[in-house]
Amino acid sequence: MNRLTILAVRLALLGAFLAAWEMLPRHGVLDARMLPPLGDVLRMLVDVLGRPRVQEAIGVSAGEFAVAFLIAIPLGAAIGILIAENDYLGEIFKPMLFYVFSVPKSIFLPMFILVFGIGFQQKVAYAAFSTVFIVIMSATAAVESVKADHLLVARSYGATRAQIIGRVYLPSMMPVLLEALRLSMIFNFTGVLIAEMYASRTGIGQLIANWGENFQMPQLFAGVVFLATVAIVFNESIRWLEAQCSAWRT
Amino acid sequence: MQRLANLSAARTDAGPTAIEVAGLSHVYDGREGKVPALEDIAMTVGAGRFVVIVGPSGCGKTSLLMMLAGLRRPSEGAILCNGRPIPSPDPERVGVVFQEASLFPWLSAQDNVEFPLALRHAPRAERRRRATDMLDLVGLQGFGGRYPHELSGGMKQRVAIARGLVQDPPVLLMDEPFAALDEQTRMTMGHELLRIWSQTLKTVVFITHSLTEAVYLADEVLVMSARPGRIIDRIAIALPRPRTYDMMATDTFGRLRDRIWQQIRTAD
Repeated sequence: MNRLTILAVRLALLGAFLAAWEMLPRHGVLDARMLPPLGDVLRMLVDVLGRPRVQEAIGVSAGEFAVAFLIAIPLGAAIGILIAENDYLGEIFKPMLFYVFSVPKSIFLPMFILVFGIGFQQKVAYAAFSTVFIVIMSATAAVESVKADHLLVARSYGATRAQIIGRVYLPSMMPVLLEALRLSMIFNFTGVLIAEMYASRTGIGQLIANWGENFQMPQLFAGVVFLATVAIVFNESIRWLEAQCSAWRT
Repeated sequence: MQRLANLSAARTDAGPTAIEVAGLSHVYDGREGKVPALEDIAMTVGAGRFVVIVGPSGCGKTSLLMMLAGLRRPSEGAILCNGRPIPSPDPERVGVVFQEASLFPWLSAQDNVEFPLALRHAPRAERRRRATDMLDLVGLQGFGGRYPHELSGGMKQRVAIARGLVQDPPVLLMDEPFAALDEQTRMTMGHELLRIWSQTLKTVVFITHSLTEAVYLADEVLVMSARPGRIIDRIAIALPRPRTYDMMATDTFGRLRDRIWQQIRTAD
């Protein structure tokens, strides 16, 4: 199958899905109270995005997301690089991190509420906590993806330490780092939303949980469409960046 | 110090010398204590000579080459390169060509060759010009824009040679540069290397596992023993230059290769 056919089939499937979403509830095949027609959801989305309370909630969530990200990325990267570069620390901590990585982070959420109360700090702390492990793992993998041969070549041409970092480490690690950025954004996003849905006074996650509890299905689906769009746009932007520098990856 | 003085005296007596090694031994810390890797290595390489080192796997050939490049320090002994010690890498005196896959995959062929110059902040125009000259020299005119994954194995090693020569060092060290190539490409590359060598008048120290390659390329072959590596034979290759593929079928060529083989077999 050529690329055009594949694209056409994909678009057709998407179109069919959206059409079904609009038609089936509209004509009573599906219960419109459980699944409002797409047109109603989109109208509600425009309406909801215009409300100050919703805009404020989005702002709060975005703030939590940004701060958690700014904590988790440098912290995780520093720990990951330390573990990868130092054999001693690596032998001790790597297995432990693997164990902790496998544990679902959401079970720690009640503890974060006990320690930080309910609010901005608790959301940020929990989101950073649920993100930092994937950053550590990825940073370790990124450092280990640097080839010893390349370091030797750079040294044999008299590269300084700074030159080795800038001209060998960074470009070698770039594809893995971008992948790490993408994954950690997903983890971070999920962390913020779960924390807000579980217990919160504001934030887009809290709104969605609330709409769900109150059976406000058009609002609920508007929120879902909004968050799904944001997540996909983020994800695809980084994938695009990855594609830019992955020509030589294979 | 006395040893260094002797070395310098010897050098002035015996004409221009590119590399001198005396009393070099190396011991490294392995899992089961100290492991002797190299023992009492002495060698002299005249300027413009092509010297090939052969020996069983793990005999310390690569370690020795790393020491000649200033990338590693021996436990004992002296190395002089163009009359001076080489405690750390000096690309103006020594260029190195490594085994396969040493090109940076995120740089074009041109940028790979420019890499050593970029490290020294050479002006862009000069970098361009020198790298282009080197790519021409190794027979890669017009391939500067290609990335390593777009080049064949032989072409990649041509780029690596161009990179090794770009700062015009008098000495070129080569660590099994053609080991990963198929037999035919390998022969062609050996021939090409001799052409480049005769055009640039470099001193070459070349490590290989291939006895045919050793005899075909070398002025002199140094045979090393299994660990701890020692030089157990020095064989002058008196075949005329320029070398041709026909020479490989001659009795002289066969006898030289057999002699090296016998030495390596007993050494292993």
